[in-house]
Amino acid sequence: MPLTSGGRPQAPSLTNSRQSTGGRALVICVVASIALFTVSCRTGEDGPLGVVRGAFQTVTSPVRYLGATVSAPIQGLGNIFTNLTADQATLSELQQENDELRARNVELEESEQTAQRLQALLDLRDANSLQSTAARIISGASDSWSSTVTIDKGTSSGLSVGMPVTSSSGVIGQIVECGATTSTVRLLADENSSISAMVQSSRAQGMLEGSATGEVSLTLVRTSQDVSVGDVVITSGLGGVFPKGLPIGQVTSVEKNPGDLYLDIVVELYARTESSEEVLVITSLTEGQQASADDIAEADAQESTDTSGSASGGQGDAGTSDGASAADGSSE
Amino acid sequence: MIVADKNRDARTVAVLAVICIVLQLALAPNLGLGNGRANFALVFSACVALTVGGRRGVVAGFVAGLFFDLSTTGPVGLMAFCLSVSSYLLGTEGRDRMSGDLMFSVGAFAAASLGVSFVYHLAMLLVGQADSIVDVLFLRTLPTTLLTIVFFLPFAYYFSRLRSSGPSLGRSRGGSHLNTRGL
Repeated sequence: MPLTSGGRPQAPSLTNSRQSTGGRALVICVVASIALFTVSCRTGEDGPLGVVRGAFQTVTSPVRYLGATVSAPIQGLGNIFTNLTADQATLSELQQENDELRARNVELEESEQTAQRLQALLDLRDANSLQSTAARIISGASDSWSSTVTIDKGTSSGLSVGMPVTSSSGVIGQIVECGATTSTVRLLADENSSISAMVQSSRAQGMLEGSATGEVSLTLVRTSQDVSVGDVVITSGLGGVFPKGLPIGQVTSVEKNPGDLYLDIVVELYARTESSEEVLVITSLTEGQQASADDIAEADAQESTDTSGSASGGQGDAGTSDGASAADGSSE
Repeated sequence: MIVADKNRDARTVAVLAVICIVLQLALAPNLGLGNGRANFALVFSACVALTVGGRRGVVAGFVAGLFFDLSTTGPVGLMAFCLSVSSYLLGTEGRDRMSGDLMFSVGAFAAASLGVSFVYHLAMLLVGQADSIVDVLFLRTLPTTLLTIVFFLPFAYYFSRLRSSGPSLGRSRGGSHLNTRGL
């Protein structure tokens, strides 16, 4: 049964007739607030209130994280709404900015790859103690019958005809023409290219020659030599043009025909000019980079051993070492 | 004579406090209107002042303001001062002013919200944490006021409609007025 009398819009309650309107509490709270405000402004974050605030922030951080997690999809919806309601000018501006950023991204990726290639060249130079000049390939062959590239350094940079050129992955070729600011490099795959080389594992010496088809073969290697697919071919240093031990390529096929004196060895080059932009031109060789007298004697010993073991081909064998030097020299 | 249930008021205030704390910490930082952020401490103190009023309203305003100050980077005590005064002004008249009078409570809250926001941001300008009066007025005070009013509306609706007409109060639905159910 209601205890209120009807007709009155609002029934009186016991608390309605409270004795205090809060004036005293207001004074206390205002004084406390001003005191806190003063202390806070005077001491800043270093004072006791800063410590209290730090503890408060730590205690309440889980709720904040929760809020951020829950509101993330809502903020995503907000972005979608903003995108939907964006005007054409804003969209055009964003599109332009996106294009600029994309171009900038490509530019930076290109710079990164260039830096990696240059670093590899530096590593090669340091590893082989090469005295060299860096150059950049600026064009390929301008005719259809030679395999050459043009680099952006010439006689003004101290380059001269005959200097070997290498990339970080392997030997590229040799300078055949030298202008003031540019030089033409004959590639190893060129038909007229011929340099002395050897198989790294068996030390079998031979001549690396290009062909019109672009195939590179290691010639003048006796059938008695031990050569197998996968062997690494390096420069031998004979001839005094290329430093000894630079990587050239890898043996991809070895054929031994009955009655032949020499193996048919096909080599796949490590260096590809299509993927090389920066190269090193080796300007001079130190004494340790040239073939030593022992190396020359070893090469001669191979030939003489082969000559004694075979009834024919003595003239060819006798000319191999010299021929290597001559061939090496001819391509210089 | 109605025997008011003080326990019900305490439960109401406690639940309201928890809701506003969570909203202040979790929702307010992630939902803004320009530079404005909703002030759930003001919502809480206003609800308490309009329903309970008096000394408890002032204390609730002070505590809520202190909570707000600690959760922000502003000077401690500034919002506590503002909410203490606003709670006192909102709670000077009769108890349960929100019951059945939605427009009045919203109007009173809007005035309080505008005043609190303006004083708070003006003080921030004076202590060097704001750059210009234009910034204070149009980029901070007005968005904050508007957003806070928007978030006050559900609370005002609850206290003016649902809570006053619900069985928990038992004012006009018959039955005993001694019902002690709270939120």
